[in-house]
Amino acid sequence: MKIALPPPLTHAPEARSAWQDFKLLLGSQVHVSWQKIRHWPIGAWIGMVVAGAGLLAVLVYLGFAAYGALQAMPPQNARGFLSLLLMMGLAGQVFFGITAAFAALYMSEDLELLFVAPVSVRAVFAVKSLVVAGSNFLTVVLFALLPGIFYGLLFQAGALFYVLVILVSLGLWIIGTALSQLLNMLVMRVVPPHRSREAIGVVGALGGIVIAVVFQLPGLLMHNKSLNMGAWLAGQQQMLKIMDYFPWGWGSRALAGGVSGSLPAGLGWSLLLLAVGAALYCLSFLLVQRGFRRGWISLSQGGGGRRKKGSPHAKPARSLPQESVPVLTAGRVVAGKASPWLGMWAVAKKDLLYVRRDTREWFGYMMPLIIMVFFVGQTLLLPSEATRGSAIMVLVIYSMMFSGNMALQSFGREGEADWVINSVPLAGWPVVWGKLVAAALPTLLLMEALLVGTMAALGSSVALTVSLAVGAVLLTLGASAIGLYYSVNNSRYNPDSPQMRVSPVASILMYLVNLLFMLFLALGLLYILPPAELTAVLPQMPAVSFSWGFPETILYGLYALSRPLLWAPPWRILLGVAVAGGLWALVFYSFMAATVRQSRKGLRVQSITGAKKKTGRRKLFK
Amino acid sequence: MEDVLIRTVQLTKRFGQATVVDHLDLQIKGGEIFGFLGPNGSGKTTTIRMLTGLLDPTQGEAYICGYDINKQPAQAKALMAYVPDQPKLYGKLTAREFLLLMADLYRIPRAVSRQSAERLLAMFGLAERADELLEGYSHGMRQKVVLASALIHQPRVILLDEPTVGLDPASARLLKDVLQEMAKMGAAVFISTHILEIAERMCHRVGILKEGRLIAQGSPEELRRAVGHGGESLEDTFLELTGGHESAELIRGLEEGE
Repeated sequence: MKIALPPPLTHAPEARSAWQDFKLLLGSQVHVSWQKIRHWPIGAWIGMVVAGAGLLAVLVYLGFAAYGALQAMPPQNARGFLSLLLMMGLAGQVFFGITAAFAALYMSEDLELLFVAPVSVRAVFAVKSLVVAGSNFLTVVLFALLPGIFYGLLFQAGALFYVLVILVSLGLWIIGTALSQLLNMLVMRVVPPHRSREAIGVVGALGGIVIAVVFQLPGLLMHNKSLNMGAWLAGQQQMLKIMDYFPWGWGSRALAGGVSGSLPAGLGWSLLLLAVGAALYCLSFLLVQRGFRRGWISLSQGGGGRRKKGSPHAKPARSLPQESVPVLTAGRVVAGKASPWLGMWAVAKKDLLYVRRDTREWFGYMMPLIIMVFFVGQTLLLPSEATRGSAIMVLVIYSMMFSGNMALQSFGREGEADWVINSVPLAGWPVVWGKLVAAALPTLLLMEALLVGTMAALGSSVALTVSLAVGAVLLTLGASAIGLYYSVNNSRYNPDSPQMRVSPVASILMYLVNLLFMLFLALGLLYILPPAELTAVLPQMPAVSFSWGFPETILYGLYALSRPLLWAPPWRILLGVAVAGGLWALVFYSFMAATVRQSRKGLRVQSITGAKKKTGRRKLFK
Repeated sequence: MEDVLIRTVQLTKRFGQATVVDHLDLQIKGGEIFGFLGPNGSGKTTTIRMLTGLLDPTQGEAYICGYDINKQPAQAKALMAYVPDQPKLYGKLTAREFLLLMADLYRIPRAVSRQSAERLLAMFGLAERADELLEGYSHGMRQKVVLASALIHQPRVILLDEPTVGLDPASARLLKDVLQEMAKMGAAVFISTHILEIAERMCHRVGILKEGRLIAQGSPEELRRAVGHGGESLEDTFLELTGGHESAELIRGLEEGE
């Protein structure tokens, strides 16, 4: 084929101004973002709409609650309340801004490309900053602009007050964006480039926890009728005074000044906010730009950065004894007959090391504990039947989900290098036992902490706590066996989302099977160690006779199952051992045997890639 | 043709205490294909990053077509193209859209860029799939898109980091032909590679980097003569210069059967 290339340029084309570069880059950024949105699958749109509606409902509820609280407060307390709202908004901005800065700067795929192009580096960073600011826009509207507007409406402020609201919102917006960039830079400096995906995973998980907690707020407010925001704020004068030294305090001072008619004071505080925002923004802009140019923030997760330590002259390698170097001397050294237990332990150790070294793994592992701590704290701080009920409900759901979750992820973890497990002579029991050990050890710790820790904190009886401690062991092993079975048959690997290691349908099926297992296991344990809470109630229960109908049958079934609790202890315990032990043995051994059988056929990890997703899903836009 | 298009003067990069590139002096003329060789971690990629303006040097200067890459980056970059080792692209753009975007970034008038884009798409065998999203492209095809985008603004200097990784033999051959054609027309081609066969067959001169220092440079023939292995391959010369010969001899000794 003839290659027809035009001759190379002899002179550089005419230079463009930074503004022209900025417009060009902004245009291309908008184009790329629009292309991404256009290709979202319908499922993503539906998810966004549902999540958006849920969030809006919570925010509207909180907004009404806040407006009602403001109405009942004296102006001084109302200003404190405003400070709190502005502070929450700034915290929200920093959180969402860090995530956006991660995506726009650290995880960006185009920075390298843009830096090499003859465009101003300042223009590149200005566009990236706009992306971060854009992600904070909604937070500013919800936590600065709207509260400011409603504050003005409540106290019937004049038109000029709303100029102050805009200035304050703008100031907080700039500060939030600048702080996000600065904090992101700090994380980029600390987190090694190859672990950036883990870092973003952890930030996302933290976001999940924050959102879960926010969704609890309406419930908290409803359950605790006695919560009087005005009275609470009146008792926090010290804290409110300290808040005046921070930007959210300045914002509330500016707005309070505007409402009370002292507009110059309000303007002064607003301008201070803007000036500090501008200074912080310039600092973040300069430092981020310098960080990338000097190489201590690495581009595109490549090499470089401060992670290179010490002298480039490597330490001399430790010399190995001659007999341990059988390389290229095949025929002289015969492979020893190793015990399969060594292989089993190697599989387990590899998985355990993954859990320890991958931040997303251990953070995902800690997540149920963190959320449970919140619910326990809520129950202890606001003791009521409702809070206790929601804590127990969450405990049951988490026990069902997380007792087998580690095992459910097991074989999908191999997707990164599935040829390894398939090529070593360990198929069958060694691999499956190795996977079981790796899944069960951390799960056991988690379940003991969840079940025993929660119930002990909530003040349950000794019998219940002991039976939960024993139950956690049986549940862990049984649920792990169920999880392994679903994992080996439904494992998948997506390099873009390495934490999604099993098909969603398999997850749901596993949770349902595990729920049934948990219920019958709990029944068996109740027969062995009936808790005082239950034995006190049972004799007072009226007798239930059988009659046809779905609820009646269920009720009669529960009644019949509760009867052995009133039997003489030897018979009750015998039945308990038979139910718990029999069920456990049946579930554990049958699922393990099925997993082993499947593993002998070879491990198949379904590879999910962006391209496959593209062909398999419908898009909203053509 | 004799113009020096790539020049580094005492170019140095340190990360903390570690010196990754150590007082590097290079001169590459127009019409020359220069192979940049070195063991893993010798500083090749850091050098390329400094030459492309992705990284500021700790000390020294780098010039592209006479423009200091740090002081006159826009002029230098306008005359230069860079092909990274990992073809990172916008997955939600098509190949055609990507080429046009690159042409815009390099200030090519739209009428010219459309023609160039079509010509390059045809040359790299991408025309039929030019309107598909890049996320569906294989590694080799993405690499071809990067190469096409590197040529769209008629660069006078092209820097390539392991350009043949992922390319099929026909595409690798096409790349070699393209680079040779560019050199014939007076461009300077700078290739960092581990594939010594490419360096031996294509490059007019090679430079060998070890622990950040340029330990040898010259034509493959000159280097062979310098280490006293006139009849042997560039691979032997490279191993001799970088200290890899010790391992090579050990392996050979072991293979010959003790």
